[in-house]
Amino acid sequence: MAIFLQNLVNSLQWGSFYALIALGYSMVYSILMLFNFAHGDIFMVGGYIGVGVSFGLLALSSSGILAIPNWLILVLTILFSMFLTSFVGMIVERVGYRPLRNAPRASAAITGLMIGIILETGNLILLGARRVSFPSLIETATYDLGGVFVTNKKIMIVAVSLLLTLALHQFIRRTKWGMAMRAMAFDFVAVPLMGVPVNKVIALTFGIGSALAAAAGILFGIAYPVLDPYMGVLFGWKAFVAAILGGRGSILGATLAGFLLGFTEIFVAMIFPSTLRDLIAYSIILLILTFRPHGFFGEPYSARLRL
Amino acid sequence: MPILEVRNMSHDFGGLRAVQNYSLDLEPGQIRGLIGPNGAGKTTIFNLLTGIYVPTEGEVMLNGTRINGLPAHRIASMGISRTFQNLLLWRHMTVLEHVKMARYSKIRYGLAGAFFGTPKRKREEAEIAERSYGLLEMMGIRHLADQVVLNLPYGAQRRVEMARALATEPRILLLDEPTAGMNPEELVQIMEIVRKVHKDFGLAILLIEHRLKVVMELCHKIQTVNFGELIAEGTPEEIQNDPKVIDAYLGKENVG
Amino acid sequence: MPPPAPISRTFRARCSRVPLLGWLSGALAAVVLERFVGTPLALAVGLPKIPALFGIDIMLKKPLLIPNAVLYTVLIYLLPIAAVALSTAFLTNRLAGGLMKLPVAVPVAVHLGLLYAALHFWADVSDYRSLVLKLTMIAIMLTLSLNVINGYMGEFSCSHPGFMALGAYCASVVTVGLFVDGNYFGIALLPGETGPFLFPIDLVAGGLLAAFGALFVAIPSFRTRGDYLAIISLAFLFIVKSLIENFEFVRGPRGMSGQPDLAGLPTVFSWAVLCVWSINNFVRSTVGKAMNAVRDNEMAAEAMTVDTRRTKIVAFLFAAFWAGVAGGLFAHVLRYVNPGTFGIQNLAEVLAMVYFGGLNSVYGSIVGAVSISLLGEALRPLEIFKWIIIPLLLILVMIYRPTGLIAFKDLEVATLLRPKQGPDGER
Repeated sequence: MAIFLQNLVNSLQWGSFYALIALGYSMVYSILMLFNFAHGDIFMVGGYIGVGVSFGLLALSSSGILAIPNWLILVLTILFSMFLTSFVGMIVERVGYRPLRNAPRASAAITGLMIGIILETGNLILLGARRVSFPSLIETATYDLGGVFVTNKKIMIVAVSLLLTLALHQFIRRTKWGMAMRAMAFDFVAVPLMGVPVNKVIALTFGIGSALAAAAGILFGIAYPVLDPYMGVLFGWKAFVAAILGGRGSILGATLAGFLLGFTEIFVAMIFPSTLRDLIAYSIILLILTFRPHGFFGEPYSARLRL
Repeated sequence: MPILEVRNMSHDFGGLRAVQNYSLDLEPGQIRGLIGPNGAGKTTIFNLLTGIYVPTEGEVMLNGTRINGLPAHRIASMGISRTFQNLLLWRHMTVLEHVKMARYSKIRYGLAGAFFGTPKRKREEAEIAERSYGLLEMMGIRHLADQVVLNLPYGAQRRVEMARALATEPRILLLDEPTAGMNPEELVQIMEIVRKVHKDFGLAILLIEHRLKVVMELCHKIQTVNFGELIAEGTPEEIQNDPKVIDAYLGKENVG
Repeated sequence: MPPPAPISRTFRARCSRVPLLGWLSGALAAVVLERFVGTPLALAVGLPKIPALFGIDIMLKKPLLIPNAVLYTVLIYLLPIAAVALSTAFLTNRLAGGLMKLPVAVPVAVHLGLLYAALHFWADVSDYRSLVLKLTMIAIMLTLSLNVINGYMGEFSCSHPGFMALGAYCASVVTVGLFVDGNYFGIALLPGETGPFLFPIDLVAGGLLAAFGALFVAIPSFRTRGDYLAIISLAFLFIVKSLIENFEFVRGPRGMSGQPDLAGLPTVFSWAVLCVWSINNFVRSTVGKAMNAVRDNEMAAEAMTVDTRRTKIVAFLFAAFWAGVAGGLFAHVLRYVNPGTFGIQNLAEVLAMVYFGGLNSVYGSIVGAVSISLLGEALRPLEIFKWIIIPLLLILVMIYRPTGLIAFKDLEVATLLRPKQGPDGER
């Protein structure tokens, strides 16, 4: 039982990363019906920006210019990196997707894929092959809850990701911009006629998605300090699968599917040899999609048309 | 015996009843009009008859065989063909390819022919092409055979759709507003074509049309639907004088 | 008499009168020339050896040698090709005209023979060239088969490396087991001489396995419309990769090596030709054009008697089959495979080739596969910067020609091979 609970805690943390990345895929997909294949690499870029920002703040702090405690550095790092990475996302949209808005969707997906490769390669060129590590900003404290070990980092990671998801939910429900996004997801043709600044809303969507990915990148860096340029590839594609599994454009769906993917992977590794993780996790996904092709919360592509 | 018989067909979209207790007896060689105000469910009836939607209730019989529930392509190959109100053409294909495509279910060379280009395939493709040229000739668009449909004027696109519909060798043709968006001159031409295909192929035709002139001139009998329900059926004269029709359809038009 | 046209225009006009036969003869003359005088000529113009890929690699490695490399390329390729093609234009036009009167198989065989001869002499110069050529031809097979799904059918499939892996492993297990000592059966069951005869069956088996795997993607994906194929095929790719990694029978992540040397240039060439031929046949038949009808408007296709679901499944399985065959060839060209080869990176490459060359077009796939493969090899001296240049190039192509360079064009053999000038000098 303790082992089960321990894995539950671990999978909550693991699922947080997937859930946060999946949100970005899901938002873009719901508005543009587009697979943003560069998103995984934006997660990677976010992680690296986080490293840069935190080292910068640490240097300021230790030189006494800005004497602040480490926990505040962490908070500032997350916020500031999210802010910076959102611009990366908006630039990607401006360069790679906007010129192709009237082109076949697949062509835009290909530019996204290529931008992803450029981001990975650019990282390798800038930083070389050496691994970059996230600084240890907070001391790990471990709490023993009757055989289940929980660290303060794990609690923080899960809490931050849930908080961000909730904030996104409120943003989309409550604000004017969120309403514009929902409207565009509903009907892309009519909304521009209503005076909604389409380009701004799309840029904002990419910006928010990228900021969430950056948060995931930093949280990942806190849990597993060593970053590498290709970490976005595998995480990104898996989160992409989670986003679709959740259902088109569903915030709740993407979050749940992200956590579900985390659970599946951790529990498969608990029961079977860990090399079987991908095999079993994806077989389960394939099965789910076979029986619920539009995901957990997605509308069927066309409810009325049998074709 | 009617060639197409519909008994109490109804259809729901979610909670909304779009078609209610629709019935039809279409005799071979008859031209039947289907009129009604916008949103009355006329196109939905077409989609139900051709298998694009499955009726929630009731049955559709083609030559005495029940066809509701069959896939749309099966129903089409059994002899119900149609055109679409808003021209559903294949944007990257040429005129000739459109007409040849409608022979799909009649092709016998199979996958071996498709992959390896057997002599049988060459023969059959040549046969289909010749037949298709014949149909294009009849529609007066043979000279456009190698054009991509997207580049054609609207009237020619309508003719392509008609040629394509005829290539499936239908016994019943469903025409969904064949004269929509046409000028008076084109209108006369398309009516001529409808008469001609009716005569040459001995088709039964079911026609959705907004222009009363066309319906009155072409049709032997007319049905009127409103809110998914049949409200009147009869000869053109009867329909013109039916107070319910005038209320639902003509009356509304006059006010509007 | 009209005034004499500028030289460039007369030159272009004369070039346009050369039939394909003429260009192939020119190419053959050039590579034969290189085969015999290439090395002395290279030394004479100051190059250490014959440049492997038209001098591009040398130019990038040693920019000082650019003039020498250009000179070599002009002397060995451009001049002889132009000279032979233009001077024999009259003859080759007559010949092409004569050939076209025979059954179509004859002129096709003559052209393919010439093409093969030219490639053979070109590849004969170094093992590296031979390897690049074989991999390029395999890339053509992969690109074309993916184009069937992503271009002709308008879906988005991510599972091509998976199909390739199935074919590669299936073919490898058979050949390694049967022809190499110390494997599944202890000793080699069959003498090596029977290899070339069994190899085609082996490749077809690999292709069939890939097509069988494709069923698991096709059945759930094509029940509904939408983007599910993209996700399901991606999941399939990960499953196949993971399956192989966990399968000790095929040596898991360490990969399989020691495949017998069965995939020579003639073998790969024949299979590539067979692949292009059968796919071109398929996409031009009415049965194959049904894919376009389904893509452009599925409802109209159904109403016109097209069995849309069957169309999609058949096309998908057919494409998977050829990806499997290509995988089998790939394994025997490199004589080593490991599961890591068949991942996202490979997927990105094949997708790049498809979209660069052009959707819905056999020409496009050939152009895409050849240019991206050769570019990838030629830019090798740039090391990692290669992976900035190729993606940038592709992004530019996507922005200015979103469907690729040569999209929506049918390959008509008769048009391609016909003489460009009648016997009386008319075009």
